[in-house]
Order: sequence, then structure tokens, then C-alpha cells
Amino acid sequence: MSAMQKPPCVEVRDLSKRFGGVQALADASVRFAPGRVHALLGENGAGKSTLVKCVMGYYRADSGAILVDDVEHEIRSPQQSRALGLGMVYQHFTLVSQMSVAENLVLGRAQIPATIDWKAEHRALSEFMRAMPFRLDPSQPVASLAAGEKQKLEILKQLYLGRRFLVLDEPTSVLTPDEADQVLSEMRRLAESGMLTVVLITHKFREVMRFAQDVTMMRGGRILATTEVAWTTVDELAQRMFGQAAITTAARQASAPAAAETTPCAGAYCEVRDLSALGDRGTLAVVDTSFTVRGGEIVAIAGVSGNGQKQLVEVLAGQREAVRGSVVIAGRPYRCTRAEMQRYGVYLLTEEPLANDCVRSLSVMANLALRRYDRPPIAWRGWLRRRVLRRFAEELIARYRIRTSSPLARIDSLSGGNVQRTVLARELSEDVRLLILQNPCFGLDAAAAAEIRGRIANARDRGVAVLLVSEDLDEVLELADRIAVMSGGCIVHEVGRAHADRYELGRHMTRTSEAEAA
Amino acid sequence: MTDAHGIGWLGIVLAIVGGALRVSTPYLYVSLGEVLTEKSGRVNLGLEGVLLMGAMSGFAAGSLTGSPWLGVLAAGVAGGLLGLLHAAICNLPHVNDIAVGIALFLFGMGLAFYLGKPFIAPRAAMLPALPFGFWSSEPAVRAALEISPLFLIGIVLAIVLRWALANTRWGLLLRMAGESADAARALGYSVNTIRTLATMCGGFLGGIGGAFLSLYYPGNWNEALSSGQGLMAIALVIFARWNPLRCLYASLLFGGASALGPALQTVGITAGYYLWSAAPYVLTLALLIYSSSTRHTLAGAPSELSISR
Amino acid sequence: MRSPSDAVDRPDLTQPPAAAPRRRLSLAALPAYAAAVESACLSLGAIAVALLLFGVFVALGGHDPIAVYKALYVGGFGTRFSIEGTLTQASPIILTALCTAVPARVGLLVIGGEGALVLGGLAAVLCATAVAAAPGPIGALVALLGGVCVGALWIAAVGALKHWRGVNETISSLLLNYIAIAIFNHLISGPVRDFSQTLKATSWTVPPAFGIGSMPGWSVHWGLVVGVSLCLVLFVVLRYTTAGFSMDILGGNRRAAQVAGLPIGRLLILACVIGGGAAGLAGAIEVLAVHGAASESLIVGFGYTGILVAFLARQNPLAVIPVAVLVGGISASGGLLQRRFGMPDATTQVLQGLIFLCVLASNAFAGRIAGVSRST
Repeated sequence: MSAMQKPPCVEVRDLSKRFGGVQALADASVRFAPGRVHALLGENGAGKSTLVKCVMGYYRADSGAILVDDVEHEIRSPQQSRALGLGMVYQHFTLVSQMSVAENLVLGRAQIPATIDWKAEHRALSEFMRAMPFRLDPSQPVASLAAGEKQKLEILKQLYLGRRFLVLDEPTSVLTPDEADQVLSEMRRLAESGMLTVVLITHKFREVMRFAQDVTMMRGGRILATTEVAWTTVDELAQRMFGQAAITTAARQASAPAAAETTPCAGAYCEVRDLSALGDRGTLAVVDTSFTVRGGEIVAIAGVSGNGQKQLVEVLAGQREAVRGSVVIAGRPYRCTRAEMQRYGVYLLTEEPLANDCVRSLSVMANLALRRYDRPPIAWRGWLRRRVLRRFAEELIARYRIRTSSPLARIDSLSGGNVQRTVLARELSEDVRLLILQNPCFGLDAAAAAEIRGRIANARDRGVAVLLVSEDLDEVLELADRIAVMSGGCIVHEVGRAHADRYELGRHMTRTSEAEAA
Repeated sequence: MTDAHGIGWLGIVLAIVGGALRVSTPYLYVSLGEVLTEKSGRVNLGLEGVLLMGAMSGFAAGSLTGSPWLGVLAAGVAGGLLGLLHAAICNLPHVNDIAVGIALFLFGMGLAFYLGKPFIAPRAAMLPALPFGFWSSEPAVRAALEISPLFLIGIVLAIVLRWALANTRWGLLLRMAGESADAARALGYSVNTIRTLATMCGGFLGGIGGAFLSLYYPGNWNEALSSGQGLMAIALVIFARWNPLRCLYASLLFGGASALGPALQTVGITAGYYLWSAAPYVLTLALLIYSSSTRHTLAGAPSELSISR
Repeated sequence: MRSPSDAVDRPDLTQPPAAAPRRRLSLAALPAYAAAVESACLSLGAIAVALLLFGVFVALGGHDPIAVYKALYVGGFGTRFSIEGTLTQASPIILTALCTAVPARVGLLVIGGEGALVLGGLAAVLCATAVAAAPGPIGALVALLGGVCVGALWIAAVGALKHWRGVNETISSLLLNYIAIAIFNHLISGPVRDFSQTLKATSWTVPPAFGIGSMPGWSVHWGLVVGVSLCLVLFVVLRYTTAGFSMDILGGNRRAAQVAGLPIGRLLILACVIGGGAAGLAGAIEVLAVHGAASESLIVGFGYTGILVAFLARQNPLAVIPVAVLVGGISASGGLLQRRFGMPDATTQVLQGLIFLCVLASNAFAGRIAGVSRST
């Protein structure tokens, strides 16, 4: 590890980058002062990732300059940026889960010795970690670390490799509120002590106000403004970002939620009893989970990712078998057959629809027909009537405003928001009585997310039982009538929206048991 | 020796032991090579073709140069080139490595038979054998314990590979490419390069396994030389949980199983010869069924491997 | 946000952001012909490249490539005799190609056509012997059905192992090939052997009345018509029925099929039964129309050639017909190459292997030309 140096000052001037027809970055100029925490605030698609990836050498900017310590560098590859002491912690982990902490750290080195003396390495690593704000056991396999610990390991890795300029890309997305606060305050402390320059990419105003010293707002690939956090407020940031007052998740969340239009039905429409399911590694991921959902209410299951939510939804979707317990809908056992789905009106929207809900190689039209193709009028005695199918698809495309060049276009040529709209169109156009949603607004821009949340609320108002499994606490607090917290594979806490407190929910989200959520 | 029954059952045991020591060698080399390839995240089903090309090249080079060891080297090079072909095509986007393996199997087989036509018939220079049975006076025991140096090299190779995968830079990089291509790319390594080199090494070892067949046992070149040994090595790797040392034990097991048919024949049990010769395939299938499960991925499988997903 | 380790579809860090929709307006406006045209172009391109490489290969061996190309053409399609030979070769591989193509539609890569074929042929012999007293057409039908059933069961086992036990279908079907051949050899060398045949181990002879004759005017047997008809029927079923659509969904994305509540096990077994039945039928037809009995002449690699045909036809039953004729032509010209140039009969296998490799490499370009989906 290199000796203590002053953290670098990185500046970009008039940086631009275009991908095909999209101008991802346009004349961006920012100065990241050394030894400070600088937040990059913006929605998905604002250009924050593009900007930092140009600095990190993953993309080559079309024009503009990057200066490190006031010296211009042409950064053509990630190796170059690393050599300059620039490091990035990504949204997606770059750890190898089958290997140990020590192996992952050694792998990151620029010069790995031809043969490795593991005993010596472990000693050196333990020595290194003594001086660090987080500590991990070098011989532990990464697969057994919690998401929060993996995030800390990613940061440790950068520090271990001597990087003094650290970009954190949405680091708290996988952390509980308490863990998030801990990590960010440590980063702030390291910056203030002169060890690091930190760039924090986020879309959460709260984090900016509490932990950053400077903030740059971005939208549509452009820099809107750069200012010191001390000189601004949340409202002002919101106004700059969205051009209008307080229609942001932060502001929404501060106000009391509107009461539901209808009161939920008395009996439970969907009841999950003592459900247990195995994860991909053979250990229980869902452990004796029970909850109910009534018609006309939104039940949200909140939790940090990796605590069994994905496996729970997979059981409800028919993608995973339960080992114990049962799912009862309208009083009858539910086995996820096609006939039952139609009879009980069970429809769902999973996360990453292209991977879970749609067939990429088929057209938009075919994907829209997924629920209907074997019923009249599209089907007739086993034959598929494509003309009828096309008309059905065109109608849905118009009604839900799905932007596609043609119904015959492949569904993976659509943008993320339009894929989500397609699945929503398909599911909501049926006779829905139970709607299951998993991170429905992940990766979408604010407008699309608001539209989808509106439709969800509408469905609830129409009397649909809605189960929302979400890892976004803001979304949960905005939409839910009842909130359940899932941790370690089971429901550990249940509370009505009116009595819900963000930090208390966060505390319940911390992993309790050692049941590995694979 | 004169009592047919007496030597009968002992003879079977000896034949199995001898078979295990002998016939296991091609399995050992091919499976070790495939371990390297699969640890990097690729499956090479074309090993049967590699095996045959190796056998043919080894035999040809051996008869042309008179030196069996040059034949072994030529076999390795031929296998390495086929491995390069496999990797080059698989490096292209949207290409299914299992399908490429099948194509390579057919191509390699055809190529081996095409180029090897002039070499069918004569015997090439044979690899020497080390007589480990010198302490016995029974020719059957002596015959069983004739061990090829390639086998010994193979054992050393298994141990070295086991160590290298955990303790060297190359081992670490190889495993990373097979566990998480994303992580490898994030660190700036070319996953395709790592996989190409791994597949070439795998092909090299597979070729040597083939050379063993034509230069030692059975020691000639013809079109019926191999029948699925390359394929069985793939199942062997799964059974061995991608651990080189377990590959060694499993190869011995398979070698013994393969020797069952001919062993019974020497004792006069000729009925059901074909069924006995199917024993290794049945064993392989049974092991595969045993090791597989729908509930979870194969234990120890590299995460990037297409057959384990 | 959620844990990336759970992500099924992890974006590559170096890829540009996915928000940019691909611009393929011009071709995407066309109906699905665009995708079909693209597939055909890629396959033809692959064949062309393979022929080129093959030319280099024979040139290195000292032969004149142009002369070899001519011989390939003449041997496959040049004379009436060669066309008849080609069609006779094509007949079984049309069916064994279905053994790979139909399961491929549901996402399985099955290469067990060889095993299903030989067992189908053997079953035909056994069934024919069982009903030896029956009138001609009935006996032939029973024999064919026997072949179909055995082939279907054999490959259904592959599908069952995959669905209920998670066993990789490529490896298991390949192993079952070797096991099938072992069973076949065992039976024709002993229990069902016709000992009056001394040249090689041969099974009991099928009663001549059950034989499948040639079409009027051609010396090509009716089995070809059976194969072509089956391909046409399957094409219609897969494209225009709801069952075929269900298979497309399953083959396209298993998780989406689960979400849709489709009976996955049943669909997988169905695809395997159709594919295996086709291969078994091929074996039965070969026995009834060509050899009259089951012997090692049945084990000549029709199953493996079928795999190549399936890939070259991009798993489309309709395209299997012309592709099988083409590949059959290559196989049929082997004799001419041997006589005229002294090339070993493995030569056509080298060419077929090259074509196979080139077709797989051409997949890298699929979807670049047209943004339109394959089926709907």
C-alpha cells in the first residue's frame, strides 16, 4: 500500500459523451475539491454514472478534459485511472463470492505475485485493517457476508489498493438506514481527516444534506448547478431538480399519507402460512413466513435486499417450490397453475421484467399476449389467431402509452420504463384481484415511477389486494397501508402506515438469524 | 497358472487393477484439462474430437520421427490448437459453448480420420513402460503393474494443479474468470483471454490423453480407438467437483470400470460383452443423476459455467 | 435497490446505459419476414465460408479445390442417380434433425438422435416379427409405430431427467447414445440374431411384405415423404397453435413460462417425445426401406448429422427440409470423392464439421441486421 499522500483534486471541464442517438453527457464541468465529500445528485439517466465512468476510464469522453491535481490527463483505460489513485465502488458488487475476503483483496492488486504465501498475506491484511474504520475476517468467504459487509469490503478494497479519490455509486442502496449512516459518516470522517476525496452519487436528498459538503445537481446529462451544502436546503434542491415544489419522494414522505379511498375487505384474500423455501445454495431463504393481504389494501414487505424477498416472490410466482407451508387464496390452496391464476385473478410484476416476466426474443405483441393467448378470442380450438392478437396488442399499446416502433419489435429493444409498462399493461388488463409487485420502479426515472405508483394506488382503490415487496423504503412509506419487515427470511415486524417510523423499520431490517439468504 | 478357475477371480481383480492403472490415464489427462477449462467458465464438449486428434497426431508423429515422446508433444500441440479453435468461436458474442463443443467433436473426429488414414496399420514407436511388478513372479501381476510414465506424470500434474489453483496468480485469475466474469472485467482483465488460454491448456492435456491411447495402450491407431472417453471425462469432472485430486481418484474408478468387460472376457465370460462395455457409460450416467439436483446448483461448480446454470 | 448478487441479468459495467433504445425503424416495420431472411442469409453465408475453408484444406492436401467442388456438386446433385442417393441420405436426417430441433424450441439441447434411431430400428424388427402374419401395410405400420414409441420413450427419459433431476440434457443424451448402441449390439449379436448371415451381426429379417417400397419412377423410398410431411405438420403446429406458442415461451424464458403458469414438465416431455419419436421413426424406416434388418449399417452417424442440420436450419422444421437435402448431398458425394481423388470417406465429415462451426460462429451476427423477433 502506498504511503499517506494528499488526496487528489479531480476536475472535469466541458466533458461530453454521446451513445448512438442519446447525449448522455453534455459540457459537464465540475471540480471535486480534495479532502471533501462531494455529492452528485440526480435521477436515473441524469448522467452521473456516465460522468464518473469517463473519469474512471471506462468510457472515453467525446470532448472535454479531465484534470488530476491541475494536470490534464487523457484517461483511456481503467488501469490509467487506477494508477492515478482514482477508485470507484459500484452499485453492483465486483466481488467474487466463492472466494475469501483475502483472495478478493489480493486479486485487486495491480501486481499479484506469481505464488502467494497466504499466511503472510493474512497477517498483512489483519495489520492493514487495524487502521481502517471497518474490519473483516480475511479468511471468510464472501458469499457468507451480509450485503452491508460486502459494501464495506468494496470500500476497504479501494483503500487497500491505495486509492485516494473514491467514487461511491449509490452505496447505501443495500444498507439499512443505520448501516448507511455509519458508512457515510465514516467516509465523511476519512475525508475530513485529509485521507480521501469522496464523490457520492445518490438520488437521496437526506444523504446529501447530512453527509456531503458540496453538491452538484445533474439532469439530462447536464450540470444544473454546483453549490456547498451549507448554503442550500432540501426544498431548493428539489426545486432545482424538478422545477417544481416538493413533488419529490423526500417531500412526499414528510407529509402524512392520504387515507385510502375504500376500506379493505374483512377477510383475507391471500394468506401465506408458515412458508419456507430454499435458496440457490441449498439453505433456507424463506423461513416460516406468514402474512395476509386483504382486498383493497396495499401490504408492503420492506427489507434490505438479500433477506428472502426474492425467493418469497418466486414462490408466489411459481418459480420456486416451497418446502413447507402453504399459500391460500380465496380460501383455497394455490399451486400457481395457469388455470388458478386466471380463476383467482393473481397477477404479478417482478423486478427485472426482461429476465423474469418476458421473453426477450419475442415481440412486444407476443409478450402482451402471455396471459390471453390460449383463450378466445385470440385462440380458437387450439389455433392461434394472429390478426386478433395484433389488434389486442395495438389496443393495449395505445391505452398504456407504450413507446415502441411497432408491435412486432422485439421487447428488448424497448427502454426499461416501456418494458415495465408492457408488463403492467398485460397484467392490469386482466381481471385482477391479487396484484403482486416486486421493486416495480427499480431503475426507472421519476416520471415513469410516479405513473406506475399511481396505477398501483388506483388498483388498490378498485378493491384489488396488493402485495408490494420493495427494497426502497421511501416507496414503501409512500404507498403502503400496512408494512411488514422481512429480515433473515421471516417477517419480524408488522405495523400500520400511520405508526411507521423510518428508523424503527430500519432497525428491524438488520439481519437477525444466521439463515443465509442465498 | 494352470488352474483356470484359480487364476480366474484373481485374474479379474488383477485385470481391474491393471485396467485402473492403465486405462485411467487418458481419463486423467482429459479430465484435468477439462477442469482447467471449466474453472475458467467454459465447457468443452469437443474433447472426444480432441482426444482422437491427439491420438492420431501422436501416432503419426511417433511413426514419422521414431520418438514416442515427440509424438506426445505433437499430440498436445494438436489438442491445444483445437482448444484454440473452440475458444475463438466461443469468444464471439451469443455463441453457445455447448453447441460449439458438439461441432468440435464432429469436426475433430472427421479431421482425425481424414488425416489418419495413411497411418492405419503400422505400429509406431511405443511409449516405454515402468515395470512396477518386478517383485512378483506371476506374469499376470507383472502385466497388471506395468505403469506408464505418463500415468506418473499425471499424478504429479493433479497434485500440482490442485496447489496451483489456490496458490498462484494464474490459478486465482482463472478461478475468478469462472466465478465472476464481471469482477474480472472490473479489474481490467480480459476474460476471453483467460478462457482462451485455459481452453488451450485443456486441449493440450486432452491431446496427450489421446496420445496415450495410440502410443501405449491399446497402442495403435484405428477408427474405433475411442468411444466416448472424452465425453465421460466431462461427467468425471462434475463428479469430482472440479477438484484435480478427486479427478485422479475418479479416473482410477472409471479405468477399473472400463476394464471390467475385457477382464471378464479373459476369464471366459463372453456373454454380454457389449453390456459390460457399456458399464462406464452407465456408471457415468448414474453418477450424473446422483450429483445433479433441481433444487440447487451443482456443488463446487464455477458460477459462470453454462451447464450448471 | 437490491443486492446485485441476486441479479439474474447483470449489466456489463462497460456497456453504455440501457436507456438508449435501439434504432431499427426501417426493418422493424417489416413483418416477420425480416428475421427469416436474416437467418437464411446467415446460414448461407456460413456454408459459403465453410466451403472456402474446405477448399483451402483440400488444396493443402494437394487436390484441386475447383475440381473437388465440382465433384461435390456432381456427386450430390449432378445426375439422376446422385440425386436419388442424396434423397435417400436426406430421408433419415430430416427426421433425426427434428430430434434436436423440436426440443431446442423448449430450450433443451438434445443430441440423442443416434441412440433413438438405432433403438427405433431394432424395435421395428421386433414388432415386425411379432406380427409377421399380418398383411403388409398393417405390419409395416406396427413396425413403424414400434420404432416411434421406443425412440420417444428413450428421449423422453432425457427430458424427465432434466426436469425432475436437473441432469444436463446434452450430456445425458450423449451418454444414452452410447448405451443405446451397446444394447443394440448386444441384442443383434445374440438374442435377436439371424445366424444365417455370416458377414456381420444382423438381426432377424423383417418380412418382405412389410418393406417400404420406392416411389414410382424414382428409386427413393416413401420414407422421404413421411419425413417431409412430418416437418410440414410440425411447422404448422409450432407456429400456429397455442401449444406451439407455449413452447416458444418456455424456450425463450423458462422463468416467464413459470410466471405464466405453463405446465413446464409436460411441455418438455412433449417436445422430447416428438423429437425422439421422429428419430425412432427414422431408424424404423431405414430398416424397412433400405436394409430389411437391423445391423451395424444402421450406426453410420445419421443422428449426429441431424444435429448439424438442425443448427443450420436454425431449429425451424420447415428449413430442415432443404438443409437436409443439402447436407445429404454432401454425404452422398463422399463416394465420388473417394473414387476420383482417393480421399478418405471422412472428407465429407470434415466439410460438415466446418459448416457446423461456421454456422455457430455466424450466431454472433444474428439480430444485428433485423430488430424483429423470430416468431410473432
